[in-house]
Amino acid sequence: MAKSEDCIHILQGLLVFGNVVIGICGIALTAECIYFVSDPHGLYPLLEATENDDIYAAAWIGIFVGFALFALSILGIIGIIKSDRTLLLVYIILMLITFAFEMASCITAATHRDFLTPNLFLKQMLERYQKAEPDNNNDKWMTEGVTKTWDKLMLQNHCCGVLGPSDWQEYTSAFRVTHNDADFPWPRKCCAMDAQGLPVNLDGCKLGVPGYYNSNGCYDAISGPVNTHAWGVAWFGFAILCWTFCVLLGTMFYWSGIEY
Amino acid sequence: LLPLLLLLLPAAHGEVEHVQYAPFLTKTPVLEGLTTGSTFVLEQPRCVFDKYSDADIWLVVALKSTAAAFNNSVLPGTAKSAFQNFPSTAPAYMTLNATLANYPCPKPPGDITVLRVGSETNCIRDEARPTCNGPLPGPGPYMVKFLALKGSEPVAETDWSLPIMLRTAKSPNSISTTDGGHSAGMIALTTILSILFAILLAGLVAMLVFWGSDACGGSSTFSKPEAVTVRRYNTHHVYDQPAARL
Repeated sequence: MAKSEDCIHILQGLLVFGNVVIGICGIALTAECIYFVSDPHGLYPLLEATENDDIYAAAWIGIFVGFALFALSILGIIGIIKSDRTLLLVYIILMLITFAFEMASCITAATHRDFLTPNLFLKQMLERYQKAEPDNNNDKWMTEGVTKTWDKLMLQNHCCGVLGPSDWQEYTSAFRVTHNDADFPWPRKCCAMDAQGLPVNLDGCKLGVPGYYNSNGCYDAISGPVNTHAWGVAWFGFAILCWTFCVLLGTMFYWSGIEY
Repeated sequence: LLPLLLLLLPAAHGEVEHVQYAPFLTKTPVLEGLTTGSTFVLEQPRCVFDKYSDADIWLVVALKSTAAAFNNSVLPGTAKSAFQNFPSTAPAYMTLNATLANYPCPKPPGDITVLRVGSETNCIRDEARPTCNGPLPGPGPYMVKFLALKGSEPVAETDWSLPIMLRTAKSPNSISTTDGGHSAGMIALTTILSILFAILLAGLVAMLVFWGSDACGGSSTFSKPEAVTVRRYNTHHVYDQPAARL
């Protein structure tokens, strides 16, 4: 009898510990997702214009799921200590619902990350950067967002285009419609700038002399933060869910053993 | 004396000296904009026209198909060599006028000595500027040569360059955005999570189905609730006994 009591206590202890970890991870998930939603790198307009911003939806779901996990873990701890069948049943059902939501968030983040290829950003940049005549208000909003974001990206990261300045030469673009090829082989923001924000040597930039223009592409500067965002939401969520799976199985096992 | 006379004779007859030099696109430094949609970058003809310190050195730009039709006696700044008439009525145009002073020899090491053909955009349609260095009207192929004129007489020319092709731009509609495929990580994540969720649902169903039955209550681990009841009863007795004794 004493031995079975010890077993029960161990199981209770393990489940309480499991729930504490779930609670802490829930808070961490909420914090991480709030960080991503706040868009510290300013890349949201690019994703909004691709109409493929579901990694942000995944992060929003993550915020609420994290909070729910924290609340439910407290409920679970109370239920386990009191050995209350009703409380634990409510806990298990609500946890399963939260599990389903978090699963959706992880899968969405992982799937939509796969859509964000260099070609997608290239096409969007060529079609929208400095587009002169937007079709409607929505188009105007997206065009302004894309233009401002690209200008900021190219200035801060000292890069040009998605794969390089040749992007502007290999393809026609909305930019090319209003800026002729001889004066603007690539946008001015691709030039090496001085402290006042003017090109150091405009002729050197137009010729493409090394040192007077940005020769790298910006794809690394875009994909780095986006990857961190998507994989952060997807894989951290996956880890939490694996742990939650074990805790839930243990709780179901515990629940089925409680006398009523 | 005779060789000197022989040298002077061609000049007297207006022969154009053929300099063994062909214009070429700049090789060093490597330029990103060596050829664009409407411009290209030539190396300056340094140490080529050293004998002609008082001549005007012009660049002649022609299409590969019209180069043969160009006559050296055409004067720059006329309709037959105007940029605005190229390539419709003029087989070639003459531009980038310079003298030997602009091309000092030898070239200082480290200097970038280039001629950007097509850089002037403000005189494209200005008929008053026939020697405009305007952007080239198509992808080419173009051939260029340098021609030295003394007054209005051509005195030296270089070879025609190799054909120069400019870049043609494709439409962005040709960019395919749908061939990404799914990464291995995403497939693994989806599969594993689906399996875990299915197991949990099965467990929940099993729980609810066996709610009423004692099928799972047989092993010793689950006699814990009974042990608790007995223990409470014992405690009650323990407290009772001393009270009874008193």
